[in-house]
Amino acid sequence: MFLKPIQTPPRLAAALLAAAETAARAIPPAFPLEATVAVNPFLGQSGEDLAQAAARLARVAGVALTPPRAALAEVADDDLAAALIAATSPLKPRDLADLKARLARPAPAAPQALPTVADLVSRATGTDFAAILARSFGLWAAGAFDRGQALWTPRPGMGAFAAWREWATHDLTPEIAGLSGFCAHVACAPDTADRAILRAAGRLSLTPEAAETAFHRLLIDLGGWAGHARHLLWQAELAGQSDATLTDLLAIRLVWEEALFDHCPAIAADWAATVQAHAAPVAPTPDQVAEAIGQEAIERAHQRALAALLSGPAPQSARPALQAAFCIDTRSEPFRRALEAQSEAVETLGFAGFFGLPVAHRPAGTDQREAHLPVLLTPSLGSAATGDVPALRIAARARRAWGRFRQAAVSSFAFVEAAGPAYGVKLVVDALGLGHPPAPQPLPRFDPPLAAAEKAARAAAILRAMSLTGPHARLVLLIGHGAHLTNNAHESAYRCGACGGQSGEVSARLLAGLLNDPETRAGLPAQGLTLPKDTLFVAGLHDTVSDRVTLFRDAPAPHHAADLAQAEAWLAAAGRLTRAERAPRLPGARAETLARRATDWAELRPEWGLAGCAAFIAAPRAMTRGRRLDGRAFLHSYDWRQDRDFATLELILTAPVVVASWISLQYYGSTVAPAVFGGGDKLIHNVVGGIGVVEGNGGRLRVGLPLQALHDGQAPVHAPLRLSVLVEAPRPAITAILARHEGLRQLFDKGWLHLFALEDGRMTARYRPGLVWEG
Amino acid sequence: MPLLALAPVVLLAAAPWRRLPLLPEAASLVALALAAAGLGIGTPSAFVRADAVSATLGLLVAFIAWVVLRHARRQMTGEPRAARFHALLLAAVAAVLVLVQAANLGLVVAAFVAVGAVLRQLLLFYPDRPEARRAAAKFSTVWGLGDLALILAAGLTWAERGTLDIATLNAQGMPGGAIALVVLAAALKTAAFPLHGWVTEVMEAPTPVSALLHAGVINSGGVLLLTLAGAVQQSPLAMAALVAIGGLTALFGAVVMLTQSAVKTALAWSTVAQMGFLLMQCGLGLWPLALLHILAHSLYKAHAFLSSGTAVRAVVATTRPGPVAVPSAGAVLRSLALALALYLAVAAGVAALGLHKSPQALALGAMLIFGTTYLVAQGLADAAPSALTWRLLGAALLATLAYFGFQILAEATWGPALPPPPQAGPLEWTLIALAVLSFGLIAWAQTLFPLWAHHPSTAGLRVHLANGLYLNAALDRLIGGFRAPNT
Repeated sequence: MFLKPIQTPPRLAAALLAAAETAARAIPPAFPLEATVAVNPFLGQSGEDLAQAAARLARVAGVALTPPRAALAEVADDDLAAALIAATSPLKPRDLADLKARLARPAPAAPQALPTVADLVSRATGTDFAAILARSFGLWAAGAFDRGQALWTPRPGMGAFAAWREWATHDLTPEIAGLSGFCAHVACAPDTADRAILRAAGRLSLTPEAAETAFHRLLIDLGGWAGHARHLLWQAELAGQSDATLTDLLAIRLVWEEALFDHCPAIAADWAATVQAHAAPVAPTPDQVAEAIGQEAIERAHQRALAALLSGPAPQSARPALQAAFCIDTRSEPFRRALEAQSEAVETLGFAGFFGLPVAHRPAGTDQREAHLPVLLTPSLGSAATGDVPALRIAARARRAWGRFRQAAVSSFAFVEAAGPAYGVKLVVDALGLGHPPAPQPLPRFDPPLAAAEKAARAAAILRAMSLTGPHARLVLLIGHGAHLTNNAHESAYRCGACGGQSGEVSARLLAGLLNDPETRAGLPAQGLTLPKDTLFVAGLHDTVSDRVTLFRDAPAPHHAADLAQAEAWLAAAGRLTRAERAPRLPGARAETLARRATDWAELRPEWGLAGCAAFIAAPRAMTRGRRLDGRAFLHSYDWRQDRDFATLELILTAPVVVASWISLQYYGSTVAPAVFGGGDKLIHNVVGGIGVVEGNGGRLRVGLPLQALHDGQAPVHAPLRLSVLVEAPRPAITAILARHEGLRQLFDKGWLHLFALEDGRMTARYRPGLVWEG
Repeated sequence: MPLLALAPVVLLAAAPWRRLPLLPEAASLVALALAAAGLGIGTPSAFVRADAVSATLGLLVAFIAWVVLRHARRQMTGEPRAARFHALLLAAVAAVLVLVQAANLGLVVAAFVAVGAVLRQLLLFYPDRPEARRAAAKFSTVWGLGDLALILAAGLTWAERGTLDIATLNAQGMPGGAIALVVLAAALKTAAFPLHGWVTEVMEAPTPVSALLHAGVINSGGVLLLTLAGAVQQSPLAMAALVAIGGLTALFGAVVMLTQSAVKTALAWSTVAQMGFLLMQCGLGLWPLALLHILAHSLYKAHAFLSSGTAVRAVVATTRPGPVAVPSAGAVLRSLALALALYLAVAAGVAALGLHKSPQALALGAMLIFGTTYLVAQGLADAAPSALTWRLLGAALLATLAYFGFQILAEATWGPALPPPPQAGPLEWTLIALAVLSFGLIAWAQTLFPLWAHHPSTAGLRVHLANGLYLNAALDRLIGGFRAPNT
């Protein structure tokens, strides 16, 4: 092999590296399962519309972005016609008949991604190098990104590219499989990722035009590992730093391509054609345009139903007996409806479940802090568990030492001989689901503590953001949510997304403590707010598996004993109603036994999470009170009349709406393109590195929602709809905010979200791209 | 009588009404009840053994079957192919139940073939996954080779002895060639080095299959040896081979396990190691301890697979308490001394009770004590607070007591039905010394592990070990596992 030093002209080099950067940004971050949150899988494509993104992802990932055409069979002509008129693509069908005729035809063959060199060589040689690559890379990545599963992990502190080079110069698997000289090829590869990318691009004749989707194609090929690397970059950038892991992965994948290209020169012609196809601009086909119109028609049908349901405000009581604030999570909606059904005097509110406190919390027994806030934000407050005694840590360390005794080479035999028989008992306990749900956490406190002035300022800001400015009930509940599950690797996906995949318990208890604090109360009038002396805040936790609410009586409240007893009775009754509503949709469930799903170690569908989510409504609760929204809507309380300068509206549109769009688009992506954006089948999941899952002994990390979160075995449970955002606010105020936030406006202009203005609870206008309102 | 446990299982596997969701678990419960009922009152016949060993194994298999089927019932709720899955699981259980209780070598062979056929179908539950096809192909190849060896062994025995009755064979012995073939079959079926590859890739089927495979099926090689213990022990060479293969596999599997970051893969490598240890115990003639190992490992491994979704939480729990205290070489020496003292004290106690210990048993005890050293060393690390030291010393004491306690129990329960360990001659002594020495070395290395695991000079070693020394890749190449799927 002759390795001439290759000089890439500076301008070409810059263009190629820019393409690598663009490809990296096209990959959505994948958060580790320890505290996972939903991510918009089309994050990198939000500047494009659905048809354009469909064209791009068909090329690089071989997936369609719209559901099968059969879903269109029942869509009304009116909706199709309206969607057709609204479409802006020059490729759109001439008229309704044309559109219907096109969509009635059987869909063209499923899209095929453009082949990689590995695909072409596999085809040409009959040896499945694509699979060998996935396996070898996956084994390396599993070790390299391991957070504590294996005892013997690679040497820490190396960049991914350097670490992989060390691995690949020793790994004989590719050579045994027939790729002779691979170790030498890696040993001779350039020593930095950038140079490796440039050399490989030169060897593979990638032009800057072709490079962007060609690189994107290769990163998609790495599955969730690329997403994990993108997450590392995300976290680094939140902290004001940078991270090169994703570029390193691209370089690694390109070194493979180069080696395979050298191994099988016979593919040169096919590869040249592929490069040409990559160089062509990404443009949707008429079919993709028509399918995107069909998708919009389905969404319009849903919006019509919603419009029919929302018919104006419900009457309100003067001073409610009980106010209860819940997370905007769609799972709160049925419970809030059931709670309000208990009495006219009950009022509920919706607010992001971190309750406006961006805390990094340190639980008992550790020095590590967990972020309890949306992943778009950085923590600015600290908190810690009270009563953190050393004994907790000793116990945790002893358990860990015992675990290492179980895992280590020779001691594993001693472990089995000494402790194996005891597992007979554990088998019985777990098989019968006799485990207990965990005890509540110790009371959290601010750490460092807040000064009196800050307490009042924070409290006032949060109360305003919640539109909880009065009248206040004697008892105000702040109810976070969480889900205790057994033996479920995706446990954190069922917890509160607004709390960064943690339970909402800490945030709710911190806020209740803050709002009851005499120093806060004393400082509030200076902030222009007063709370009645007899108003007590109490935190609670809504368990979304059992629909039980636990109240935390963190402070003595002798004068509110009756209020609390009444509240608990109402909560219990609401739980029964909610369970009865939810149970029929879960396979093998009865309302009375829903709670057992939390302790059953074989349960793959403890609950449906946010499946079905379709709408986001920011309005006073009176506009939606009593309307059966079937757990499909995020409900954010918002009263624009109380909102000075529309600062709260700006906050809602830029934070909770974006988080909700991530959730809804994650469900969308995992449903329409499960092969790339779905988490695979839980029956064969294999937890890897403590961060994610692979299927069986496959090498690709699988991110996104698993099959069992979207499908009940017989039929899908989530209808893929882009979220409809309904905001009760003056249109100019909304428009002004969109004009200030380019990224947000793009989500609406490119159709990833629909936007409607509400007036007195009725949908009166639809937002159109370009800051225009229609209706 | 014990075989009665089969009836509900077989009936249901074939029955059309298996679609009722509760039935498979009910069938396994009935089997468990019958196996328990058969404990005391079994009568041996031409087909069924009824001794402490077969009764224990029957009970174990029926218990694991109940846990696994119960798990599967919930996991597969709504799954379109659930009925087929349950039927296949039940069929596998039935075949294993026959296997562990058969009194005739011919029946054993038939049961092995049946297990292989059913398991192949389970491993191909996702027939579209190339990984599943590759794993199933490896399994069938190795399992089939084992079957072939057994059929030959049975043929040879029949030709020479005119009977396949196991009790007779144990009393009168088997031809040397047949014993060699039996040992070969046992090694193949327990996934011994170098053909262990099939077991490290079979997490391609739903989790309950892995649990059943690792808890109920893979130890059938050990069951085969226990069944023919009397005959196998008559060949010192066969015993020596078992110690050698078993010891090597145990250490190899255990070291590879350290490098695996995927939970089911690590568990599979742990099984390879534990089965190697089982073969070694058989080779040392410690038959009751081998049976104890089967029992303990089955229970542990079934639980580990069925609860493998907790791995994420487990990782969080290990990182939370901060860095691990690393013991120095001095601390390791002190802990070795402490562990030895512990061992001697407990062993002296056992001797004082008037229980005799063979050199083989003492050697095995030493190997396990090396393991306990690791626990003690973590407590003696300089950075470990004294409360942690005491806690870990307590845990080490408990582990040692539990180990000896179970050992005494095993010998009392199954000793009468199994041959005692052979007199140690030069060959045995050499192997014992070699085994103790190599386990000691690895234990030493493991305890000092944090001091060298990240040294650049060991990076290459880690790569080779993480790949299982490429034996799987080589086997794949040999049987065409790398071929691209036909498109």
